[in-house]
Amino acid sequence: MAIVKYSIPKLKRKKINLLNFLSLNLHKFMAVPALILFSVFFIYPLLNGIGLSLTDYNGISKPNFVGIKNFIDFFKDDRARNDVVNTVFFALACAPLLNIFGLIYALILDREFKGKSLVRAVVYLPAVISPLIMGYIWYFILQPDKGFLFSITKALGFTISNSNWLADRYMSLWVLVLVNVWQYVGMTMIIYLAGLQSIPVEVNEASKIDGAGYFQNLWYITLPLMIHPMKINIITNIIGSLSVFEIIVALTDGGPGYSTESLSIYIMRMCYGSFTGYSTAIAVILFFIILIPVLISFKIMKAREFEV
Amino acid sequence: MKCKKLSLLITALLIGSTFAGCGTKPVATPAVKKDPVKISFFTGKVETVDLVNDMIKQFNAENPGIIVEQEFQKDASNVIKVKFASGAIPDITTVVSQDYVDQGKYVDLSNESAWWSRVQPSIKEMCTDVKTGKQYEIASNMTMAGLYYNKKIFSDLGLKEAKTWDEFNNNLMTIKDKKPEVIPMFVGGKEPWMLGHLVEFMAHGVIKQKYGATETKKAMLANDDSKLQFAAEGGPMDTFAKKILELKDAGLLNKDFLTATYDNQLEAFATGKAAIISQGMWALSGISDKNKDFKDIGFSPYPSIVDGTKPVILSAEDSVYAITTASTHKVEAKKFLDFMFKAENLKKYSEATKSPSAFIDVKADWGILKDEVTKALTNGVNIGFTSGPSGFSGDDAGRMIQELYAGKYKTSLDFAKAYKATWDKAWSATNK
Repeated sequence: MAIVKYSIPKLKRKKINLLNFLSLNLHKFMAVPALILFSVFFIYPLLNGIGLSLTDYNGISKPNFVGIKNFIDFFKDDRARNDVVNTVFFALACAPLLNIFGLIYALILDREFKGKSLVRAVVYLPAVISPLIMGYIWYFILQPDKGFLFSITKALGFTISNSNWLADRYMSLWVLVLVNVWQYVGMTMIIYLAGLQSIPVEVNEASKIDGAGYFQNLWYITLPLMIHPMKINIITNIIGSLSVFEIIVALTDGGPGYSTESLSIYIMRMCYGSFTGYSTAIAVILFFIILIPVLISFKIMKAREFEV
Repeated sequence: MKCKKLSLLITALLIGSTFAGCGTKPVATPAVKKDPVKISFFTGKVETVDLVNDMIKQFNAENPGIIVEQEFQKDASNVIKVKFASGAIPDITTVVSQDYVDQGKYVDLSNESAWWSRVQPSIKEMCTDVKTGKQYEIASNMTMAGLYYNKKIFSDLGLKEAKTWDEFNNNLMTIKDKKPEVIPMFVGGKEPWMLGHLVEFMAHGVIKQKYGATETKKAMLANDDSKLQFAAEGGPMDTFAKKILELKDAGLLNKDFLTATYDNQLEAFATGKAAIISQGMWALSGISDKNKDFKDIGFSPYPSIVDGTKPVILSAEDSVYAITTASTHKVEAKKFLDFMFKAENLKKYSEATKSPSAFIDVKADWGILKDEVTKALTNGVNIGFTSGPSGFSGDDAGRMIQELYAGKYKTSLDFAKAYKATWDKAWSATNK
């Protein structure tokens, strides 16, 4: 009888505890569906990819473990070196240009003037067009002897000598940079514009009362308060530029030869070209190539944030 | 408390819904009529999508128990790899690769005598796997590739079809001198597949005519350097690269060689701005679309690039079909191919694609080049497609020609050595 006497309250207490536990940790359980999906569609493929990078998988036969051979091969591969140079050049050229022009546009559009909405729409419009379509549009604009640019300059009485820019490695790399900047500057501008509009009016007014000129206000007040939009823009531009793919495919297809090929295109071509293991190794390397500048910029901007 | 209970319920539902559908417990269904069998038809041939869809429509109407669905992918040769790897394998495919033949991915069609008895013997030979002597693919058509030329320009200048490289060079020089407004030879070099074809027909053509179709296939599959001689001085690749550089230096090719597209090439030829282009039969409808009135089209084999060899013309299998071993509806898949291989359907197909049928009982009026092609086939050595390693596609070869043209290689021999190195690397990747 004694057992029955004590067992009932014990069970009841347990039930209450479980309910309490669930109630207290409810928010954690809410994340379970998302965690499952994240694991299935991100963590698993990521780990699987890292695993494949250590094999000689060709997409058809059974993969064999080869250790870090693919990573060693990467550093001996001339084409891979060329693609790293192209990718890094593209990012180093695009990220600053996007931020400089994005900020300039934002500063212009932060003022009141007639036709402001139209200018904003025109600057932002290219960003909503697919990069592939953008590449093809620019291909038709730049075609030598018959492209839109050639016709316009001819009508104006100019002749561009050696106008086949996409046939030259260095010229075509710059063309790719400029087209990319032209397309995404609107996106950068919008983020800067949102940042500018979130600066309290009183701060600017106070600086004006204190006698600060336009550039002093910009340098000492506006830019330090724009650190968060700057962080977002720089990081997204670095990631976007280092993983550039579509615009190159449409405009030069990585050519002539492999001269404007980026690492992302190389990964795709190797993956389909019976070098699947090697291509996943390059993808892992690209991950670190992207991670390093992102971490550096995080660190620099965090330090700047503390100064502010 | 009520709110907490409700939240708990919602969470439980959310978690539960994540796993919804994971259960394997069979659900009792009322006895209804059997679902029709679905057959997937995978193709990379954009020019036949509408035509095949029309045939599928007719087939589906005539066969209520079977539904055929076509899937087109532009990058089909790569997409099929993903399909094989992921298990989403089509029943019928127009993409056949030696690697997959070796892996046993296709059904052996050797015993389909009702089909083979109607197919040209030369095409049957091209469809035969050299390793096993069996047929895992069947071609419904043939294709030819060679040099299209503007007959009017040729007759105005008194030019004849070139058989040797010197004759070819002289023809181009004459066009350049006498008709400076015309581009002697136009190449759409932005699209590497066209440059890959030049390698395939002109450079590999030297090997193919020396050893014949089967022996060349075997040499390529075994990477037999004694026959291929890719890196040899004066070998096929070295000579071919020399000829391309000769044409470039003499200004006999279009200035926008590296940025011109297939479309640019057809337009230049159809409008009389270019005298010669290298293309296959597949380009005929495109030329006609650009200029319906342009009928002065001549067709000749590629001139020999090595002394002592003959001109070559591609005469190969086209529109090939294979049934995958993974298909669970092989009988239905064969039934659909039976339907496609009906003489009236093949005639329709042949006339729409402007390519001759590989089936001897099909009499089709496939295009204005019919007589020109027949003449060219007798004037040149007939060669087929190459069986290179899958990691070194025609596009890859074409990109190397782009590099050659852009000045990456100091000499033609450097190019030949680089070509051999790339070929070997790709061959090793698939022959472990």
